[in-house]
Amino acid sequence: MSRSFRNQTLLLAALAAFTIVNLIPILWGLIISLKQPADAFSIPPKLIFEPTLLFHLEVWTERGFLGFLWNSLVIAAGTVFISVPIGTLAAYGLARTRSRHAGQLLFGLLAIRMLPQILLALPFFVMARFLSMVDTYTMMILAMVAVNQPFTIWLMRSFFVDVPVELDEAAMIDGCNRWQAFWHAVLPAVRPGLAVTSLFSMLLAYNEFLFALILTGKNTKTLPVAISEYGGEDISYWSISAAGAIGIMLPAVIFTLLVQRHLIRGLTFGAVKG
Amino acid sequence: MWLFMLPSVAVMALVLLYPFLSALYYSFTDYRLGGGATRFIGLDNYTGLLTEERFWADLLNTLGLVGASVALQLIIGMALALALYGLTRGVRLVSILNFLPHVVTPVVGGIFLKWLFVGRWGLLDATLVSFDIFPPDWLGDPFWARFTVVMADTWKFMPFLMLVLYAGLQSFDTTLLEAAQIDGANWGQRLRYVILPMMKPIILFVVAIRTMDAFRFFDLVYVLTNGGPGTATETITLYTYQIGFRMLEIGRASALGMLTLLIVAVMVAGLIWFMQRRGREAF
Repeated sequence: MSRSFRNQTLLLAALAAFTIVNLIPILWGLIISLKQPADAFSIPPKLIFEPTLLFHLEVWTERGFLGFLWNSLVIAAGTVFISVPIGTLAAYGLARTRSRHAGQLLFGLLAIRMLPQILLALPFFVMARFLSMVDTYTMMILAMVAVNQPFTIWLMRSFFVDVPVELDEAAMIDGCNRWQAFWHAVLPAVRPGLAVTSLFSMLLAYNEFLFALILTGKNTKTLPVAISEYGGEDISYWSISAAGAIGIMLPAVIFTLLVQRHLIRGLTFGAVKG
Repeated sequence: MWLFMLPSVAVMALVLLYPFLSALYYSFTDYRLGGGATRFIGLDNYTGLLTEERFWADLLNTLGLVGASVALQLIIGMALALALYGLTRGVRLVSILNFLPHVVTPVVGGIFLKWLFVGRWGLLDATLVSFDIFPPDWLGDPFWARFTVVMADTWKFMPFLMLVLYAGLQSFDTTLLEAAQIDGANWGQRLRYVILPMMKPIILFVVAIRTMDAFRFFDLVYVLTNGGPGTATETITLYTYQIGFRMLEIGRASALGMLTLLIVAVMVAGLIWFMQRRGREAF
């Protein structure tokens, strides 16, 4: 008893130490964002200082980050509204079909993950130029749907597979057709899965950098592109870009808390159920 | 049933298949944005790239960065997963906190790391200097820049391996472990003869996923070193970006993208073959 208690304490202490080291980059960013520039550049680094929220206020109001946030949200929401409904339908079809080709189709979808994103980015860039659609929400949303669709189908399928087929059959015996059985019986049963899939698609779109870098412009610039322009080298911008970086990170943190029970399933295309 | 798939298939034909086929077509042409007429040049882009020194150097870079960081992530992730497995309280809090680096927007993560490694004012340099240690040039020296990129990738993706490996550990039947314990196997023996063999499929699964992802690796390097110094940390993806979006040579960039796809496909096929040869329980 006492020995296992001691072991547990040691293990917890070791894990706590690792966790702190692992979070240093984020904590350091947080500290920079709260420091006056005079305190930020002292050697050795100052740990005790008078915090200020000035830079957090400045980055969102005066540096236009509220606008970039709006662009990010429009693109993420647009992606979810297109990708999740059609992906859910396809996932249901794949989960319930008895066709021998279903397995091949699923594997094909997984193979799309092998596609280097940059290979897709090139034709999208050409298309956008050709149709004069660089710097439009539409083009960026279409690109994000392309990136998200295989993922959405796989993840939703794993939730449909968890629903017993008897549910569909019972509904159809009660006089529903396929579509009604899906809509009235099965879909309500996967509501949590729908929420998790939407959140994951949203985060993918929110975090996207490569496509945003080439397809967005001054009207549709997203947060990751905006923050990348501040870089990390020019020290006169440190406090301001640290404030931006911390702000951009917050939705991702909230996201993690919301989907914590389904993190593993989402990360592995539904292949591993945590 | 197929009707349910129709909308998705139609959309994917438009946003995935059509762009992919266009890229395939471009790769056989000398298509250049803002350039003159486009000619069909067969395999010239491919042979050009394959005889180019920079391509091979970048491929070697990419493989080296992928290999080093995946190995490091696997070791640390496995150690953490085992530690979490042994923990009786506080598992959720510890795993969520350690998971944060993975959900942070990649570009933002890159900037956070830059504030550690950047010369003189970065946390590392400032700390080392105050102990009178002369720090290396983390981002400017070819060796240390590669080291930094490996550390950055490890920081970003280790949490993913930690969580998946931990889930794998949890899904096991514990009777085998208990039997080994009763038979007097010590901790090292249990790890070597019970846990690792059981984990093999899931380890290969995460390595396959990380290998695919590593070839799309862009955001972190772009922010941290942008391939520099020189081309010391330039990956294939960064090079494709340079050709395609800086020099606007869409044809050549498409060919490089196709080559990347081919390399990834061969590597993943190799992994799958390896898994199937090692028993069919994988996946």
